Amino acid sequence: MSSEYTPSLAFHNAAAYLSNASSLSKVSNDTKLELYGLFKCLTVSSSPNSSRPSIFDFTGRAKWDAWSSAGKTFGNRLVDAEARYLEIAASLGWRDQPIATPPSLGKKGEEEEEIDWDDESPPQNRGTGAGGGGGGMGATVSSVAPPPLGEDADTVHGIALSGDVAELKGFLDAHPEVDLNERDEFGYTPLHLACDRGNTIMVQELLRKGVDQNVKDADEFTAIELARVAGHEDIVAILEKPDS
Amino acid sequence: MSGTHSTAQKGKAEEIIDTTLEGEDHASSSEGEEDTAEHPIDQNTPSTSTSHKKKKKKKSKVSKALKALKGQKEVPQAVVDKVLETVKAKHGETEGVDENTVRMALDHLKIMDVAKGKTGLMGKGRKDAGDHKFWATQPVPQLGEEGPTDDGYIEASKPREEVRQDPYPLPKDFQWSTIDLNDPNQLKEVYELLSLNYVEDHDASFRFRYTAEFLDWALKPPGYHKEWHIGVRVASNKKLVAFISGVPITLRVRNKTFGASEINYLCVHKKLRSKRLAPVLIKEVTRQCHLMGIFQAIYTAGVLLPTPVSTCRYFHRSLNVPKLIDIKFTYVPRNQTLARMIRLNKVASIPHLAQHGLREMEDKDIPEVAELFGKYMERFDMVPLMSVDEVRHQFLSGIGEGERVKGSWKGRREKQVVWSYVVEDPQTHKITDFFSFYSLPSTIIHDPKHNLLEAAYLFYYATDVGLRTAGNLDEGEVNLKLRLGELIGDALIIAAEAGFDVFNALTLMDNVSVLQDLKFGGGDGLLNFYLYNWRTSPLAGVTGAGDRDPGRGVGVVML
Repeated sequence: MSSEYTPSLAFHNAAAYLSNASSLSKVSNDTKLELYGLFKCLTVSSSPNSSRPSIFDFTGRAKWDAWSSAGKTFGNRLVDAEARYLEIAASLGWRDQPIATPPSLGKKGEEEEEIDWDDESPPQNRGTGAGGGGGGMGATVSSVAPPPLGEDADTVHGIALSGDVAELKGFLDAHPEVDLNERDEFGYTPLHLACDRGNTIMVQELLRKGVDQNVKDADEFTAIELARVAGHEDIVAILEKPDS
Repeated sequence: MSGTHSTAQKGKAEEIIDTTLEGEDHASSSEGEEDTAEHPIDQNTPSTSTSHKKKKKKKSKVSKALKALKGQKEVPQAVVDKVLETVKAKHGETEGVDENTVRMALDHLKIMDVAKGKTGLMGKGRKDAGDHKFWATQPVPQLGEEGPTDDGYIEASKPREEVRQDPYPLPKDFQWSTIDLNDPNQLKEVYELLSLNYVEDHDASFRFRYTAEFLDWALKPPGYHKEWHIGVRVASNKKLVAFISGVPITLRVRNKTFGASEINYLCVHKKLRSKRLAPVLIKEVTRQCHLMGIFQAIYTAGVLLPTPVSTCRYFHRSLNVPKLIDIKFTYVPRNQTLARMIRLNKVASIPHLAQHGLREMEDKDIPEVAELFGKYMERFDMVPLMSVDEVRHQFLSGIGEGERVKGSWKGRREKQVVWSYVVEDPQTHKITDFFSFYSLPSTIIHDPKHNLLEAAYLFYYATDVGLRTAGNLDEGEVNLKLRLGELIGDALIIAAEAGFDVFNALTLMDNVSVLQDLKFGGGDGLLNFYLYNWRTSPLAGVTGAGDRDPGRGVGVVML
């Protein structure tokens, strides 16, 4: 998916700030990598456009992974990716001070009331999180706790779930004997999982490898039926016309 | 408004508020109020916890442990071992409790974030030094303090004339405003402030959207005081930019009963977050409570403040699976597909008790429900005591407008915020059970397809079944669990039929016993319960406490 997202002015300001911020030198590599991944997602595309660098290219590989991970975390929710970027920038001393605003001509004291209370866009230097300005007092907004990630990242099923096509290619190069129609312990083939989770590019790649579309899962569903139930129309279309 | 200006003003505003914060945190002593005669309410005996100073010296074990955790990413082995050991000591060898489960659970609870001070228990509530400073001045048990040997107040009550008479000062350009919720315009102002600025989840995907009807219901119980509905307005244009509220509640905590204020809906406009208004709002609502002769309060927060009396976890039952997956409220488990998840979460189309006397609660049921409820709540340690009027208000005043179809269990009326049902024994015509849930939607902040999450929350319930077999405790518990499964199971069916996407419940009351069977899944949100100016030892919530099973310490559902 290419990035159609246009980052805000605040983002560019923050990026400019960070590019020559002295505070950045004290920042951990993890944070730098996260910033890198977010920046790439916001300015290039939501996943790296090259294959994953070899294990000997430490830096390149770490950067690639950071980019890929940011893409997976935020997917098409790039607004959130930007908010996260701004949040890190703010923690490193950046302050959002739009250059577009002319210096005040008004009398002191009235300035504060010029805040546009009806402007619903959130303040950009603290874009995310937290509750109510009351230090989180009140009830809590909760959602289902996400499952632990990457438990079977090193199996073809785990890769199908992740949607990481480059990873699949690497895996198949290293394990050419792997049967792509194999069922996991729950009775799903990699194609079932990719279709169910909506990993379109993975579906295309699996089809290219010649996987069997007609395998049924434990509930008697084929891959196309799973895609249909899950509302992944693009995948349904691909499976109906595998040659296109 | 430019960032430059707010930054320039910031120092000034903080200075002003800091005066309230620091200066009269000892409001009492500086105003010479502390040494005045005590006027304890009969039930209020001072707690007999060891003195404050003593506790301070003792470096809390918790804070030491937390300190050791800082700088680590993984939950350390020692912590995992300790938890395992505790669980085993309490419950014996339990199936499914192994190292990995414990590690996962701790991970989920983001205990590392707590340790690093990034968050309270759950949620992204970075507490800065200022907040801790504020709470250190309040009559609340401080973190790490040992539990009291006896329950009671921390600060004695005082007569009205000794209560501070003037409102606390606000930063220049802001003014206090008592909100009249009977005025539809003012009600709408509160609704708008909250729906744009109130509590969000940790990654800003969902924000509570309390409806105006809901607020009207929640904030006007019998005997409410309009002085406890407190707003802050911009002086120049009267725009409402902050709010806090209290409503009266009679609480029983263990064996002591007292009048208290239920504090809720503290909200500061997003653009005022740096101004530290929250402490002033808390002080002002406290002052207003004092003026009415109320010196205790109950409140909840997602973040960790000094000091929770209990902590409960949210659980979620998916009703509209495809939508919940779309908006990333829930996830397809590794061993399922969406198709299977939909099938597994499908609920029956008719409540199981529909043929056995289940119907909507009516006016005539109020006395029986009040009695049933009062009796049932004796099971728990911290509960509201409700008069007949309060029962009417809580369960029937929010049922919306429009026709009630006799004998029907279905539906959703215009402006309905609460759903209340009873089971009437077909032979004796006695009310044997009742349950209720309320509607609290959330705005879905960034989603191309959906903008509102329709969530139902389990409210109060009571049943006579299970309490009947009092002679045989074990049999009673089994019957009770079965009956609650039927009742809350039927609540799910009714909620699904009424168009809710998800049904939420906390690990309080007897909920824990049915959550798993009814296919609730653990949430990422915790809710901490707090008492203001009252000491009692911890109550069973997400974990057991003393000989209480998980949940059974807490019997208060905060709206």
